[in-house]
Amino acid sequence: MNRNLLALSVAGIAALLLFPVVVQNPYYLHLLETIAIYAILLFGLDIVVGYTGQVSLGHAGLFGIGAYTAGVLVTKLATPLLVTLIASVGVTAVFGAVLALPALRVSGPYLAMVTLAFGTIIQILINEMTFLTEGPMGIKLNKPALFGIQLDEREFYWLVALLMVLSLIVVHRVLRSHLGRAFEALRGSPIASDCMGVSVYRYKVYAFVISAGFAGLAGALYSFSEQYISPNTYNFELTVLFLLGIIMGGRKSRIGAMLGASIIVLLPKLLDDIEMFRYVSVALSVAVLISAIVAVRRGKATLAQMAVPVVGSMALAALSFRLETMTDWRLSIFGVITLFVVYYLQDGIVGFVRQALNLQRPQLPDEKVDAAVRAPADAVATAAAAGGDADRTELLLAQGVLMQFGGLKALNNVDLVVRRGTIHGLIGPNGSGKSTMMNVLTGIYVPTAGAISFGGHSLVGRTSSGIARSGIARTFQNVQLFGEMTALQNVQVGLHHSFASNLFDVAVHTPRYCRERDAAAARALGLLQFVGLRDLAFEEARNLPYGKQRLLEIARALALDPQLLLLDEPAAGLTAPDIKELISIIRKIRDHGITVILIEHHMDVVMSMCDTVSVLDFGQKIAEGVPAQVQADEKVIEAYLGGQAVAGAAC
Amino acid sequence: MQILTQLIYSGIALGMIYAVIAFGYQLTFATSDTLNFGQGDALMLGALVGLTLVNAGVNYWLMIPIVCLFGAFQGAVVERIGVRPAIKIKSEFGWIMSTIALGIIFKNVAENVWGRDDLRFPSPLPEAPIKLLGANVLPMEILVVVGALAMMLAVELFNRRSIYGKAVVATFNDRDAAKLMGINTGLVITFSYALSSLTAAFAGVLIAPLTLTGATMGAVLGLKAFAVAIIGGLTSGMGIIVGGIILGIAETTTGFYISTGYKDVPGLVLLLIVLAVRPAGLFGKTAIKKV
Repeated sequence: MNRNLLALSVAGIAALLLFPVVVQNPYYLHLLETIAIYAILLFGLDIVVGYTGQVSLGHAGLFGIGAYTAGVLVTKLATPLLVTLIASVGVTAVFGAVLALPALRVSGPYLAMVTLAFGTIIQILINEMTFLTEGPMGIKLNKPALFGIQLDEREFYWLVALLMVLSLIVVHRVLRSHLGRAFEALRGSPIASDCMGVSVYRYKVYAFVISAGFAGLAGALYSFSEQYISPNTYNFELTVLFLLGIIMGGRKSRIGAMLGASIIVLLPKLLDDIEMFRYVSVALSVAVLISAIVAVRRGKATLAQMAVPVVGSMALAALSFRLETMTDWRLSIFGVITLFVVYYLQDGIVGFVRQALNLQRPQLPDEKVDAAVRAPADAVATAAAAGGDADRTELLLAQGVLMQFGGLKALNNVDLVVRRGTIHGLIGPNGSGKSTMMNVLTGIYVPTAGAISFGGHSLVGRTSSGIARSGIARTFQNVQLFGEMTALQNVQVGLHHSFASNLFDVAVHTPRYCRERDAAAARALGLLQFVGLRDLAFEEARNLPYGKQRLLEIARALALDPQLLLLDEPAAGLTAPDIKELISIIRKIRDHGITVILIEHHMDVVMSMCDTVSVLDFGQKIAEGVPAQVQADEKVIEAYLGGQAVAGAAC
Repeated sequence: MQILTQLIYSGIALGMIYAVIAFGYQLTFATSDTLNFGQGDALMLGALVGLTLVNAGVNYWLMIPIVCLFGAFQGAVVERIGVRPAIKIKSEFGWIMSTIALGIIFKNVAENVWGRDDLRFPSPLPEAPIKLLGANVLPMEILVVVGALAMMLAVELFNRRSIYGKAVVATFNDRDAAKLMGINTGLVITFSYALSSLTAAFAGVLIAPLTLTGATMGAVLGLKAFAVAIIGGLTSGMGIIVGGIILGIAETTTGFYISTGYKDVPGLVLLLIVLAVRPAGLFGKTAIKKV
């Protein structure tokens, strides 16, 4: 770890633990304790919001489930602390899975509404199930005992602080691992994740379950901290407050989550104190004014863009002097802050500071591959061995594939035989069904009729991720990279299948996980080297030039150790020298025994490389054979050039 | 039996209110793929503004067009402040959060202006029930059903018959193509939000005499109307009416036979189930994803 960072963390933890020794005031102690509890929840929420990119409005409900599990267990069964905490985490995680079930099918606004409905149901149930929860009366409980010792305020604080630090480490490790990459990948491009063998469904559920687990822990600690829980705490406002905390602090950042937790705990206190609020609002408007001036002078923003926040913050300051009390307007102020954050502070305070100071995201050991870990000389796995004798047996066999969209037959009884170790070209005019064929082969579409077998096993009806794991990798016609991840991470997502480690391995960094992690990093670098992108390993994928993005997609697909690689127009938009390089890469891939299906419009590429070429037109296969034979075929010429064409001009 | 019939009547009236609000969701979703998460608060504001007007001596029937105008204005404000910037930066998270934030602000403002207590809205029609098929039905309930249907019909006719409506439909079909054909799609989206909040405000003054009016009345109504929009399908006009009636009846019967505390549960559970099983809704078409 970076030495500065380590020193900073040690100092932070020491400050956290020594705080109650220095400050005796129980009010401040309780405030900091609440911040720590909220921070635990926000670490978890960040997994869902920041990494998988889903809006959850159900986390107040999950928080409530955690709190009530603890409350009910302690009052009804007098369970010891450790059991209570574990049970709260477990029960809430189960509810997280229940919440994730509808979430499997929907995203975006639907998911937001579903989670909102979930939160509302939870609140109603807590209110109505009086036999368990005492309903609106709430539950009173005492500070817990640990190993038979009754904890006092200060000792309980230490427990919370310790658990927060532990949560921080666990969340951090999870998010830096292959699990975290999977979460981020399914946000970047769900289809590409599925086609890399990372099941979107499964990892969405994982994300929700892990996130809910932390919400449960936070809820249980909260109930001990407050010593009183009632249903109305876990309402819609709290859930919005959590989201505000995450975006205001900064997504995808643990510091951001802690910052966000501090803000959402302190802000209501601040609004209670009108004197203090006046000072703060004036300071805020000055800060906004200065940063607006700087931004305009540097040409980063126009005057009109900056007018709104400047006028807004000044109006807020003016308002604070007009009003006698802020408490009634608390929610409006939260609303205004949310609007402000959504539009002017999208990357949160952490992102803003990082940008202002031109800091890069810190590279963590997982990303920073030691020089000692040398990339293997040849990172591309040889696929031929898997098939036994490389006797040009049939690897892929599609029979009578019919794909119907309403009345349109995008594929009409297409047969396709791809032999092991060959490059099989698939050509045809636009709209002839080539890409549809790819989508059928990779399980994105389920064919209306027909049979497809791959290495002797049927593919029909299997999920995209299952098909990917069985050895079919693909690239996409319109590039589907995980834009916010680095080139290296993109390839590492492809290597997801090489990890056998589970959540526990990741959390405690077992030797197995460390071994797999280092191996994957080395392999990924090797694959980047193979396509000539080694120097760009730490560049974000979206910042790469178009041609390099296409090569990166190939490297990512190779990471799956495929037997069959589907390339969908890899040369589209490439310059002539790039195409030369591409041809040599595809040849090298074939030399590793990997079978390739190539969709391409550049006829010189197709004709010079393919062993067999199939031609599609209007969803039907009109010709097949060696390139020269196809090139001379009347029907092919007609399809490309129309009926009256002169033979020989097809390419 | 008589009780059940009565429950069904009030369920239908309630369901039509849900249908009108759900109709508002459909309008904005059609033009811009966005929803106003504060739709319930638009309804609440409509009801409270209507109450103020009625208390100031304005006739109920005269008050309705004024409230509708207010609703349209409120919707346009939501679109300009909350949705347009988010569409510009293509941030889904942005418009979800900003419409939620605006909803919270509206609710809080309403709490400060009209107080936190629920208020009674005087009924414009006689409150003596009429006998219909052996059960009692309030004249106001009939008005709700008629008014809701009339409102939806009027908007549908506008969309189908007028040239402005064609612009809305064109924007719905293909926003970019409509823009290239010279339609001011930004204006169309603003308009759809105005129309959406207008219907919500209208629903507010319709339902207000039947229930109590207050700052908190909107939130759950908005959520359940979303359930109706999902159950019916976000693109089906018939679906929301059927969905609304199903939900309304489920709610009144649950409230009577189980407990009023649980009356919100069936709708929300139905929402979760429909989304888990058939996200396009009972009447909606499943979209084919393109790669």
